[in-house]
Parts: sequence; structure tokens; C-alpha cells
Amino acid sequence: MATTSTNPAALASDATTPAETGLLIHLASVSAEAIEPALSNLALAFPGQSFAVAIPDVAPNLTASPSFDKLRLIPYTPAAPSATNWVLTAADYFNTYKLALEHSKTACLILGANSHTVPAESIRNLAATTLSSGSDLAVGHYHPGPREGLLNSAILYPVSRALFCARPRFPLAVDLGVSIRMAERLATVAQRFTAAAQDDAILWPVSEASAAGFTLAEADIPARCAPSPASADLNSLLTQLCGSLFADIDTKAAFWQRMRSTLPARSIPQATQSNESIDVAPMIESFHLAYANLQEIWALVLPPHALLGLKHLSVMPQESFRMQDNLWARIVYDFILAYRLRTINRSHLLGALTPLYLAWVASHLILVHSGVSPERHVEEQALAFETDKPYLVSRWRWPDRFNP
Amino acid sequence: MWQQVELALSQSAHRALVTLANFLPGFLALLLAICILTIVGALLAALLRRVLTLLRFDERLTHSSIIPFEWAPSHSPTLLITRVVFWGSVVLGCLIGISAFDAAYAGNSQMSFFLVPYLTHSVGAIILFIVGTLIARFLARTVLIEAVNARLSYARFLSLGVKWLVLVLTTAMVLDHLEIGGTVVDLAFGILFGGIVLTLSLAIGLGSRDIVSRSLEKNADSDVTPINQAPRSQTTSETLRHF
Repeated sequence: MATTSTNPAALASDATTPAETGLLIHLASVSAEAIEPALSNLALAFPGQSFAVAIPDVAPNLTASPSFDKLRLIPYTPAAPSATNWVLTAADYFNTYKLALEHSKTACLILGANSHTVPAESIRNLAATTLSSGSDLAVGHYHPGPREGLLNSAILYPVSRALFCARPRFPLAVDLGVSIRMAERLATVAQRFTAAAQDDAILWPVSEASAAGFTLAEADIPARCAPSPASADLNSLLTQLCGSLFADIDTKAAFWQRMRSTLPARSIPQATQSNESIDVAPMIESFHLAYANLQEIWALVLPPHALLGLKHLSVMPQESFRMQDNLWARIVYDFILAYRLRTINRSHLLGALTPLYLAWVASHLILVHSGVSPERHVEEQALAFETDKPYLVSRWRWPDRFNP
Repeated sequence: MWQQVELALSQSAHRALVTLANFLPGFLALLLAICILTIVGALLAALLRRVLTLLRFDERLTHSSIIPFEWAPSHSPTLLITRVVFWGSVVLGCLIGISAFDAAYAGNSQMSFFLVPYLTHSVGAIILFIVGTLIARFLARTVLIEAVNARLSYARFLSLGVKWLVLVLTTAMVLDHLEIGGTVVDLAFGILFGGIVLTLSLAIGLGSRDIVSRSLEKNADSDVTPINQAPRSQTTSETLRHF
């Protein structure tokens, strides 16, 4: 099992000089307009220190500015170009490792798009966590609002935590700190995709680190402007992210089936009460419409028990609309299994998950509006996923025999 | 008189028996070819499955490929290959049988002239029908899911319409391939296809009336709204951030 430690507030004074320790900062997915502010922000994070910063050659006429003149810039032409900038892709990991090797670095800080909005203290914190805690992978821990990062809260975090026993709250964080061996492992996986011209493939560093037995840590990033996905369409977002996650789960089946430990509960921060009214009606309507039309497709994927749960959900009034945590956990597990078995076409499968996800979002928002802390609900949800993990393992091994 | 009738009857019976005697060997050859090639195909498939299992073909293919293909247990490469071999043998049997059937007749035989092209076309028609049905099911499911996710209340109707469009098209193609019906099929297909398209257009048009009117109203409002006026409050679903 990958060990995890949290370093929520590494002090600036604790941060060792990055240049001395061989840290390479890679501004992956940085746009031409954002390069100068991002470099200024880095200079602010490490005042008076000189260290290597790799930037893609998107701004060839970049002039040295007094605000970042101590940074040693390494412009490079990406060996594997990536068109996706809202999430780190196979090309980003591959380029990072290549640059680290070329410049003999021992650790890398990969900062995603909009890195100029990451507070300087948070960048220092991430660097310190990467260097001082001895962890192989330091993942950014953001603080989204109750209406943000919902897909992460509903599927990515609880599944990643339950299956890979990995603690990071954001398995697909865009700001990472990696040791050289972690970078090498990620580059090896990335190369399989880049060799097949799939430069924009999404990798899952947390599950890779867990499978390799590497140590994991989280670094607090309280405020950050998260990059927006290229497509505003929820279906394509869900298909892209969940498809990639489910494929990763399938690849690492031999590993996660052996993992049986339960992680201790997180400390829940005090939530601020939101009095803003929530319009969940469109989401619930979407679920009702799907319930009336997609029954035959859901019946191919879900067992009778889950279908019964959905039937109960479909007759609930809006005020008390609540999807039980264990029902959602089992739905996600059944979809993961159907993805593996190719019960139906995979794009159809992920499309059929969208209305169920919207039902979860509606249920979550109603719960949050009633005064429950969103983080508490997410943690309870994650616990339900952990509790029901034996169900997935049983169905994975004997899909036909075990079908309650 | 009675003798002439008897003679005519015996001659026609004789002709019928001769035709049957000519037909049966060819038909038997057809059946035999199909049966033998089916058995050969089954044996080959079984043998191939055993050999590939012994060689751990699935595992080797997964590990050696650059991209890790996720083969489901029910759709493993071994199973795919054995099925292709089996059905290839069956189709080969059909073709050999038809050739044998053709060879059993004289070149100017009427039976051969009509039946052989028909049998040959029927193999293509069966394949056409299977492919058409699969495409119809796939498209119907795609439309249903996309329409539900787009919150169209007539999603099922749309999906059924698409399914029947493809099925009608497939049936027309199959009948045309078999040269059955002639222009009647073309005409009926045109009427049916046009009818389905018209029905769907009307249904979508009537169903989308509210959406269009709302959209027009919104545009009209935005044209009238002064620039410095505060924007209308957005619904919560628009402010959600899923990732």
C-alpha cells in the first residue's frame, strides 16, 4: 500500500533551495499570455533563488523581466505535443521526465494551466512537500466550493480511495510534485500512449504511485483558478474522465483486488452555510426522463437491487430527493464492471451514467443546502465505497454468479 | 381419348420425376457441402481454441501490444478468431454448395438459371440483413441516450423512428438484392421512408415549438435589454462546475 502523509503548511523558511536539490519546475500547458505572470509568480514564490524552469516554446519572444531574471528558463519544443490544457496528459508527463533527465534533476514540480493563480506560498508548500517529505508524489489539495469539483467528489475521489487505498482528495490534480523515479514510471506509461499518437491520454498518477508502492503526500493549495475543460458538455467530460479511470481500473485489477485496508477518516473543515437557493429541478427532471427511457439499458448493467433503488428514487419528491450513498457506490461499481465486460458499447455505457450522476449531484446539493457539510458528505460517500469494495471484487471475479 | 389423357398424365409425371431426380443430387450436394464445411469449421475452431489457449495467446497479445487492449472475457481474441474460422467455413460451405448445385444442371436449365443466382444472392441478403439490424440497434441506442441527455422529452420516439428508418432501408436493400418485388419495393420504400421522415420532422417541430419560442423570446429580450442593465440571474445548474 502506498503510504500517505500530509504537509498542510510547510513554512517558507523550511523550503530548501530548489536549485541545490535539483528541482525542475515544468510549466506544462501554459499559454503564451500566461507565461510572464506565471514566471513572476514563481519568482515571488522563491525570492532570490535561481532554479530551472521548463517552458514550452509558445512565446519565442519572451524577454527577460526584472521580476523573474533569476530564473533559469529552459524553453523546449515538446517531444510529444498536447492540445489539452485543462488536465495533465501523457505528453506532459513524458516531456517532464525527458527534461529532468536532460538536466539531471532529481525531482520535478509540474504546474498545470493557470499556474499564475496559484499563491506563491502554495507553490513553496508543494515544492517543500516534494523535497522534504521524501514522498514520490505530492498532489495538490484544493478547496473547491460546494458546487465545484463535483465529478471528483462523486466518482474520482471515492473510487480512487476505495480501490487504490490512496488518500489524495484530488486524484487528477493539475499541480504535482514528483520524484525522478515517479516521473520515470509516469513517462513509461505515457510512452505507450504517445507512441500510438494518443498524446492527450489522461494518466492517473495516484493509482500509478499506489501500484508501484511509492509514497504519496498532499500539499495544500487553498486558492487556485482551476482550468476549465475544453468542452463544456457534461457528457463528453464524463465519457473522457470516467472512461479513462475505468480503463485504468481494468488495467490494475490484479493490484487493487489485493488491497483491503481502510483509510482513516479525514478531518472535516468547518463549512460555511450557503443560503443561496438551489435549482436542482433540471437535474431531477433529467433523471426522471432517463428513468422513463433508459430502463432497458440500465437493466443490462445494474442488478435488480440497484434498479429497485432507482425506482424508489424516481418517486421521491424534490424536497426529500436523496440518493443513498451505498446505492451510488454500487451503481458506480456496476458501471465499472460493465465497462470491463463490454456489456454494451462503452460510449453508450458512459452516456447512460450521466443522468445517474446528475441525480447524485442533485441529491448532494439538496443535502448541502440542508446544512450538511459538503466535505462530510463526500467523506461518508467515500466510506460507502470502501465498505462496498468486496461487492466489486466479487462481481469482478464472478460476474455471472454473483448478481444480487 | 382416355388413353391420350393417361399418356399425357404419365408423361407429365415422368417429367416431374426427371426434374426431381435432376434437382435432388444438386440439392443434396448443396446440403452436404454446407454440413461438411460446418463440421470442418467446428473442428477447426475447437482445435484452434485449444492451441491458442495452450499458447496463452490472449495474454501474449495483451502484453506485446503497444496499447493495452482491454479484452472482455466474453470477447477474447481467441474467441474472436475461432468464431471467424467457424463462420468463414460455413460461408465457404454455402459457396461450394451453390457451385455444386450449379454444376449439377445443364447450362441452359431453367431451374439453374433462376435458382442459382437466387441462392447466391440470399447469402449476401442474410449478411445485409444482419448488418442492417445491428446498425439499427446501435443507432437507436445512440440516439436514445443522446436525446435523453439533451433532455428531449420525445427521446424514445426519436430513437424508434431512427431504428425503423434503418430497418426499412435494410429491408428494401435486402429485397432489392434478392430481386423480389421490383419497382413495387422501390415505391413502397420511398413512401415508407418519406412518411417516417415527415412524421419525425413534424414530431420534432411540434415538440421543439416551446424551445424555439423560448429561444426567440430570449433573443428578443436581450436585444431590448440595455447594456448597462444587470444580467438576469442564472440558474444554479449553469453555475455548477463538474471538474
